[in-house]
Amino acid sequence: MGRSDQHNMKWLTDVLGMGAVLAVLIAFFGLKCENFLTPTNFLGIANQIPAAILIAVGMTLVLITGGIDLSVGSVVGLSGAVLGLAVHQFGLPLALAIPMCLGVGALCGLINGLVVVRWSLPPFIVTLGMLEAARGVTFMLTESRTIYIGSKIGNIASVGIGNVSSLFIMAVITVAVGHLLLNKSAFGRHLIALGSNEQAAYLSGIRTSRVKVLVYVLSGLLCALAAVVITARFASANPNAGSGFELEAIAAVVIGGTSLMGGRGSVVNSFFGVVIIALLGSGLAQMGTEEATKRMITGCVIVLAVILDYYRSRLMVRPEASR
Amino acid sequence: MRILKHASIIVLALAVLLAAGCSKQTNQGTQLSADKPKIALVMKSLANEFFKTMADGAEAYQKEHASEFDLVVNGIKDELDVNKQVELVEQMIAQGVNAIVIAPADSKALVSVCKKASDAGIIVVNIDNKFDSGALKEAGLTAPFVGPDNRKGAKLVGDELAKHLKAGDKVAILEGAPNAFNGDQRKLGFEEAMKAAGIKIVASQTAYWETDKANEIARDIITANPDIKALLCANDSMALGAVKAVEEAGKAGKIAVVGYDNISAAQQLLQEGKILATADQHADQLAVYGIQYALEMLEKGAAPADKETPVDLVNFVK
Repeated sequence: MGRSDQHNMKWLTDVLGMGAVLAVLIAFFGLKCENFLTPTNFLGIANQIPAAILIAVGMTLVLITGGIDLSVGSVVGLSGAVLGLAVHQFGLPLALAIPMCLGVGALCGLINGLVVVRWSLPPFIVTLGMLEAARGVTFMLTESRTIYIGSKIGNIASVGIGNVSSLFIMAVITVAVGHLLLNKSAFGRHLIALGSNEQAAYLSGIRTSRVKVLVYVLSGLLCALAAVVITARFASANPNAGSGFELEAIAAVVIGGTSLMGGRGSVVNSFFGVVIIALLGSGLAQMGTEEATKRMITGCVIVLAVILDYYRSRLMVRPEASR
Repeated sequence: MRILKHASIIVLALAVLLAAGCSKQTNQGTQLSADKPKIALVMKSLANEFFKTMADGAEAYQKEHASEFDLVVNGIKDELDVNKQVELVEQMIAQGVNAIVIAPADSKALVSVCKKASDAGIIVVNIDNKFDSGALKEAGLTAPFVGPDNRKGAKLVGDELAKHLKAGDKVAILEGAPNAFNGDQRKLGFEEAMKAAGIKIVASQTAYWETDKANEIARDIITANPDIKALLCANDSMALGAVKAVEEAGKAGKIAVVGYDNISAAQQLLQEGKILATADQHADQLAVYGIQYALEMLEKGAAPADKETPVDLVNFVK
């Protein structure tokens, strides 16, 4: 089997696997909830997930290098707070406030990356530190109070094509760019090489440190973009915004088949991972499921999806082995 | 040598950080003098706007009455961090404070450590989240509860909402975090008001006090029940998310939203009528009430009894 054939095959099994899970969920909730299979519902879900998608794209790239970014939620909180303060407290125009917000996100990522590389520390610990520190700074800046901004920023969320918000479109474009970056660019190949075997990547001339720092900067930047999305949607900056996002993002990305060990992953499938989690949450809420049941089901679905991924990758490996 | 140099820089940086952190602490009154009573305020999460307002109010009050008592304020990371709060109470016992004013993160789990404080001769005043009466009895602890009646407050908000609805209308509740006493009380108050007005509650789910979570849940409730007329939220943060969900569903003006707490971010929405009503428990005074009561008990040795503090309705006026 040729290399490109094998690649296509992988793509096919990947997409089929995700599609099957999606189809089962949609069919199930369609039967159970009266208004689940309506355009309004799907549009609503689409307008709800842009932030999660952006974060998942960054997380996918980080996981592919064999790293992890636990600070995403706190970076969302911090950059959102900066945006809120810039607009509300200092009356800056969005054209200035949004770049500031993005800058803060990228800066957090830069610090993560530099510390990881300079002292060869495990990203788990470094980003865990950032998770605490960035949230602390957020509470300090906002005095733990929600900043209400109003229509000045809320308008970003209300424009769109038809009923699809501009934010969802931006998130989908980000997924496309992320996919191209990973699969068609040198940087993407370096990410995968780094995650597969760092030593070998280094010896083959890849500047591994620079790639690593860049991937954390990218993750931070995407978190800040997610913060813009969240702040625009609620027309307010909440100091607790984004708390717990790290685990949601990791769950979505892993459901999408990205390996926590690095070297393997897909941005498009992470997108589907986010959609699966959103559909699940939405359907269970519409059924009026008890909180306890919701949590048990969500937990089981995450693990089942990963088990499914195990068989999916075996399906892919077998023809290669018999070659 | 270079390694040594770098290591010493890091150690120095740590020392500076700690010193910066501690100087803040002394401002909050760790320098306890001998004669004045020492009161410890043990809060839930100071990252939560509501509790932060409570703690700030207490600190402002202490500054005005600095000659009368000393105050140490401590909070935990989030409301689920019960162990940390138990440790805090133990540290306060060790510090030898005269009274502990506590907003327990768990209405049962904190009872036994507070009993320990009480046995050590420390006065315990309970604020915000009421201790479970069964647990109090079993431990043999008497700790007066000084605080608002959340159920009554929610009933006020619900009654105000009912004026805008008619019997037979359908509504939904967004609850606080599961197992939160005040959340349960607010839900009960909402239910009571709706029942009295003959309004039907078709859905009731937790959104963990959070804006984004409330937005998702509210959207799902509206999708499943397109004919609902109102969303009753157990706090204002959730009301912010619910208002957005109503707008996104194109139901602005058709589905009313009410909240609880009267936080600053809700002010504008209240003025615009996007939030119809909320309840003000005077958060900045809640801890102060507890402290005043503790001082009263210290001075007069008064017998402990529960004390209710005011809750006011804040509603949209056309």
